[in-house]
Amino acid sequence: MPSYALAVDIGGTFTDVVLRSDSGQTWVDKTLTTPEQLDVGFFRAVDSALAKAGIKPAAVTDVVVHATTVVTNAVIERKGPRTALLVTEGFRDILTIRDEHRYEMFDPQIEFPEPLVGSDMTFGVKERVLATGAVLTPLDTKAAEAVADELKAKGVVSVAISFLNAYLNPANERAMRDILKKRMPNLYVSISSDVAPQIREYPRTSTVVMNAYTAPITGPYLDALVAGLKKRGFGNEPLIMLSNGGVIGVEIAKIFPVRMVESGPAAGALAAAYFAEVLGLDRLLSFDMGGTTAKACIIEDRHPLVSGNFEVDRIYRFKSGSGLPILIPSVDMIEIGAGGGSIASVSNLGLLKVGPQSAGSTPGPVAYGRGGTNPTVTDADLVLGYLDADNFLGGDMKLDLKGAEKQMAELGKKLGTSTRDVAAGIYRVVGESMTAAARAHAVDRGIDYRGVPLFAFGGAGPVHACYVADLLESPMVIYPPLASVLSAFGTLVTPPRLDLSQGALARLSSVDWHGVDGIIDKLVEDARKGLASAGCKPDEITFKFGADMRYFGQQNEVTAWFDADPRKKHDAAAVREVFETEYEKLYSLRLPEVDIEIVSWRLVATGPLASRDSKIDLKGQPAKPSRTRSARFNGDDVQAPVYARRELAQGQSIDGPAIIEERETTIIILPGWRATVDKTGCIMATKD
Amino acid sequence: MDGIELEIVWSNIISIVSEQAKALQRIAFSPIVREAGDLANALFDKRGRMVAQAVTGTPGHINSLAAAGKHFVEAFPTQTLREGDVLITNDPWLSAGHFFDITVMLPAFHKGKLIGFFGSTIHHTDIGGYGVGAGARDVHEEGLWIPMLKLYDAGEPNKTLFEMIRRNVRTPDHVFGDLAAQVSSARLAGKRLSALLDRQGYEDIDELSEEIISRSEKATRESIRKLKAGTYHGESSFDVPGGDVITLKTAVTIDPKLGEIIIDFAGSSGPSPYGINVVMNYTHAYSTFAIRSCLDPELPNNFGSLAPIKVVAPEGCIVNCKYPVPVNARHVVGMYVPMPILKALYHVMPERVLAEGSGAVWTIQIQGRDDRGDPFTSSMFNYSGGMGARQTKPGPSATCYPTGVAAVPIEVLEASMPILFTRKELREGSGGTGASPGGDGQIIQWTMRTNTDWLLNTVASRTDLAPEGLAGGRPGAAGRFLVNGKPVSEARKMVMKPDDQVTLETPGGGGYGAA
Repeated sequence: MPSYALAVDIGGTFTDVVLRSDSGQTWVDKTLTTPEQLDVGFFRAVDSALAKAGIKPAAVTDVVVHATTVVTNAVIERKGPRTALLVTEGFRDILTIRDEHRYEMFDPQIEFPEPLVGSDMTFGVKERVLATGAVLTPLDTKAAEAVADELKAKGVVSVAISFLNAYLNPANERAMRDILKKRMPNLYVSISSDVAPQIREYPRTSTVVMNAYTAPITGPYLDALVAGLKKRGFGNEPLIMLSNGGVIGVEIAKIFPVRMVESGPAAGALAAAYFAEVLGLDRLLSFDMGGTTAKACIIEDRHPLVSGNFEVDRIYRFKSGSGLPILIPSVDMIEIGAGGGSIASVSNLGLLKVGPQSAGSTPGPVAYGRGGTNPTVTDADLVLGYLDADNFLGGDMKLDLKGAEKQMAELGKKLGTSTRDVAAGIYRVVGESMTAAARAHAVDRGIDYRGVPLFAFGGAGPVHACYVADLLESPMVIYPPLASVLSAFGTLVTPPRLDLSQGALARLSSVDWHGVDGIIDKLVEDARKGLASAGCKPDEITFKFGADMRYFGQQNEVTAWFDADPRKKHDAAAVREVFETEYEKLYSLRLPEVDIEIVSWRLVATGPLASRDSKIDLKGQPAKPSRTRSARFNGDDVQAPVYARRELAQGQSIDGPAIIEERETTIIILPGWRATVDKTGCIMATKD
Repeated sequence: MDGIELEIVWSNIISIVSEQAKALQRIAFSPIVREAGDLANALFDKRGRMVAQAVTGTPGHINSLAAAGKHFVEAFPTQTLREGDVLITNDPWLSAGHFFDITVMLPAFHKGKLIGFFGSTIHHTDIGGYGVGAGARDVHEEGLWIPMLKLYDAGEPNKTLFEMIRRNVRTPDHVFGDLAAQVSSARLAGKRLSALLDRQGYEDIDELSEEIISRSEKATRESIRKLKAGTYHGESSFDVPGGDVITLKTAVTIDPKLGEIIIDFAGSSGPSPYGINVVMNYTHAYSTFAIRSCLDPELPNNFGSLAPIKVVAPEGCIVNCKYPVPVNARHVVGMYVPMPILKALYHVMPERVLAEGSGAVWTIQIQGRDDRGDPFTSSMFNYSGGMGARQTKPGPSATCYPTGVAAVPIEVLEASMPILFTRKELREGSGGTGASPGGDGQIIQWTMRTNTDWLLNTVASRTDLAPEGLAGGRPGAAGRFLVNGKPVSEARKMVMKPDDQVTLETPGGGGYGAA
C-alpha cells in the first residue's frame, strides 16, 4: 500500500494543501483561510485533498507538515489574551522606552507600534543578577507571591518573565516561574532565559513577551490539530514549520510559538533550496512577489541564509525599526513594498514613483473594478498586454482593461508620455526598486549577486522576474512547478531543525574554554531533546557550530560558522581566522591589531530529510501557442505567442518574447531569453 | 531627462550611498556612530555640490557634510586630483563642528575621468586633548586639528599624517579602523557608481547632477510658495551645565515670491566659556533640518533642496562661533536649534510642528577602577527625555528629538564596566498636559561597584528651564541631575565617592493645545 505525506500551509488569504504519494504523485488544493478558527480551514483543505486522491487518513503514514500564519496574525491583530510581564524592579517601562530611537529622522509625526503588554500589566519584582552572572539579590519570595496573587486576581492567562542579565543565569526567572506555576498550574509562563538567552534587554523582553502573548492561542490550536488528526485516523502527529527553515514537533512548537512567525515564507525559501539541490545549483536568489510586497532571499550552498533576528508588524512603510523586534532565528529575507497592488504616482519632482503605498486587495488595482482609481503595477502589467483581461485566475475574475488604460493615461499626461509608455515605465521602476533591494541585501551579506539564478514565484513574481534578472546580470530564471502552493510543498522538503544560541560575552584572548564547553554541551543536549519531538534519533542529527563575534569595541556582531566542533581543539587562532574571513567578506577589511569579542555561541542541529521528490506530469508533444496577444517589449508592440503551461512538453523550448499562462500567475519571457521545460517540471529561462 | 529615466538613476544613487552608510554604521568602533548613526555619507559632483545623501545619520552630520564639499573643491582643484587620492579634515569650521568628526572625501573616477566625490563624516572614538565633554577652555585643548590634507596621495599613504594621528589619539587602533572603513566604503561606492553609469549608458554625472539639483530646488521653492508670506518669530531658552541660560531667537522670513526662507538668529546669546559653542555649518544643519522636516520631508536632501533655505547669525554668537572658542560638546546647544524655528513655523503650519521637547540628549561618560584595580573608561552613552506633543498626537515618551540616538542597552553597559543600574523607568507626569500631552521623561539611577573614587562626566541640560507647551499646552517638567539625592549642575568632570548614587530625571515634553 502506498504511503502518503501531507502538507498544509495557512496563509493570510488561502490555505494550501499538498498531498504526495511515495511514488511522487501529488494532489493540491487551495481553499479560503478561516481566520476565526484556523483549524476548520485546515481540515477542510485536508479532507478535500484526500478526497481528490481517494484515500483514507490512515494511508498518510509519512509526515503531516504544517506552516501557519497564526502567530503573526495574533500579533498584528492584537488578539492575544490577557498577558502580563514581570521585570526586575525599577525597569517597568522597558517596552515603552524601547531603545529611545526614532526610526525615521525627518517625519515629526512619527509613531511607534503599540507594545503587546502595556505598562499597566507590567510588574517589577525585587531580584537582581549581575553582568557576571552572579546573583546579587535572590528573588524576594514574599514579593513574588504577592505579584502572583495580583496576577491571579486580574485574570491573567499568560505571563512573560524577563529579568536583567537572566540570559547569563536563569535562577531567579525559574524561581519566579515556579511560584507562579504552583499557584496557577494552568497559567502559561514564558521566561527570557529559555526563549532568547541573548544580551540586550529590550529585544529579549520583546521576544519573550511575544512568546507569552501567542502561547495561549497556539497551544489550544495545535492541540486541536493533533486531536483532529487522531480522530480522523491519521497515524502521526504533525510537524510544525518554524521561521528558521526547519520543522519541529508540536511539543516544542507549543513552548516556543514565537519561532513560528513567518513560517510560510520560510517554507517558500526551503522550496527554493530544494530545487537548488535538484537542479544542481549552489546559489539562488528566491524572488517572491505578491500583492503588496516582494520578498527576496539568498540560497547559499543550497540552504537559505538564516539570521538571528526579525521584526514583526512594521507600521511604517516596511521600514526597519518600525516594528516589534524579536530575537529568533529566521530565514534571512528582505521585504519591500513592491507588489501587484503598489500604486504608481508622479512626485512633486516630476518623477514616476511606484509604492510603497498599496491598493491592497480592496479596492485593489483599477482593473479589479472594485472602485480602485489609483493605477497599480497589476494595471500596468495588464495595459502592457502581459496579463489577459479574460483569463485572470483562469477566467474566474474579469479585469477592466479600459478602466486601467484610462487611469494610466491620466498618469501619462502628467509625465508627458503615452499610456503604454507609462505602463512600461511602471514596469521598469518597480523592477529597478526590487533589484536595488535585492542588490543591497546581497552586498550587505558580502555576496556577489551577479550571475546568481533567480527563483521566481508569487502571483506577480513570474511577470517581473526576467526583467529583474536582466538588471541583476543573472543568466537564468527558474519558474518552479506547483508554484501556487509552493510554501506547502516547501514544508515537505524541509528537514527537522533547531537553531539555538546562548549569549556569553568574552574576549577571545582570555576565553574560558571550560565554560565554553559547558555552554555548547548544553546547547547540544537541548537540541537533541528538541529534535526528538520531531522523531529524530540522536545519531541521525548533524551539528553546525558558530558564534556571534566582533572586534572588541564594536557593538554589532557578525555570525561566523566553524568547520569543526570548537570543543575539540580550543583553538583561538582558528576561531579568529573564521571571524576575520567572514568580516573581510562583509566589509573588505581586517584589523589584525584588535582583539576579538565573542558575544554568543550558536548551534544548528539538523535531522535527516526523507527524499520527497514530486513527479510532474509533462506532455509528450510540444504545445503550440493557443493564441497571440499584443504586448509591449522594449518600446515595441508585438504579437506575442501565448502558451498554457499545463500543455508544455518536457524539453520544449520557447523563445521570447512569449507569454506562458498558469491559473495563478503569468510567466513573461522577455526578448533575448529562451524558456525550456526541464524534466523536474521547472521552466528554465536562460539568456545567452 | 524624463521622469522615468531620472527616477531609476536617482533612486539607484541614493541606494548606493545609503548602503555604504549602513555598512559604516555597523562596523564603526565609535558607540555614537553605531547607536546613533552619527555619520553621513554623500555623493558630490565635481563642483562640490551634494547630489545625493544616505537616508541615515543625524541631522547635525548630514547637513554639515553638504557644506564641506565646497571647501574641499576649493582646497584641491579637481584637475590636480588623481585616482587613489584620499582627502581628509576635521576642521570644525569647515565640516561638522568638532574635532571628533573626521570627514574623508574620495575623488570618484569613471573611465579614467574624475566625475565627483564620495564623502563621509563619522564621529571617531577619540581625537586626543580633553576627551568627551564641555570642559576645555579653547579649541586647542580639545584635541588634534587635522587641516585639509591628503591622507593618501595616488594610493600612497601620507606617513607623516598617519604618525601624527597615531601619537595624538588615545585609541589609534580604533581611529585607524574607522578611517579604513571610511576609505573602503567610499571606494566601493565609487565602483558601484561606475557600474550604474555603465548600465545606464552615462559617461559622467554632470547632466544627472544638474537635473537632480535643479528639480529639487524647484520643488522646494514651490513648496515655499504655498506658504503665507511674513516674518515669524520664535524663541527658546534653556539652561546648560554650569547653570548658564542660553537663549536662541529666530526670525523666520518666508518669501513666497522668491520661494525662499531666511532664518536669522539675531539676538541669540553670545559665546559660552564652555565647549558648547556651535559653528555655522552645524547651525545651518539643524536649521535646514527643522524647515525641511515640516515643509517637505519626502524630498531628498541635496544641494538643490537646501539652497532655498538661508541661515544667518551674528558673527561670534553662540550659533556662529569664531576661533578659538571651545566647541567639543556643541550638540548641547545645537540640538536646541530647531526649537525656536518650530515655534516660528507654528504660525504657518501648526499641523506639522511639535511643542518643545527635552532637546539635547543627556550624555554620560565614566572613568574609574574596577574591583581588581584595573582602570576603565566607558564609552559615551546617552538618555533622552520626552518629545513635544503634536497637534493631534501625544509626544512619544523617552524618545530623542531632534537627533536620532539609540540608548545603549543596560546589559551592554553593565558588561563593559562595574556599573549597576537600579532604575530606568518613565517619569510619570513629567510630560506637559494639553489637548495632546507631551512625552514623559525618564528616571535613570545607578551606583558603581568599585572601592575607589571615580570620575563622572554628565552633560545635562534643561534642569531649570522646562520645555514650554504650545498653543495653550502646559510645559513639561524640567530635568533633575542628582547625586545622593542632591541637585548638581556641573560642566566639568566630577570626582565621585565609591558609594555615590547618581539619579538622572530627564525633562518631559511640552503639551500642545489647551486641555
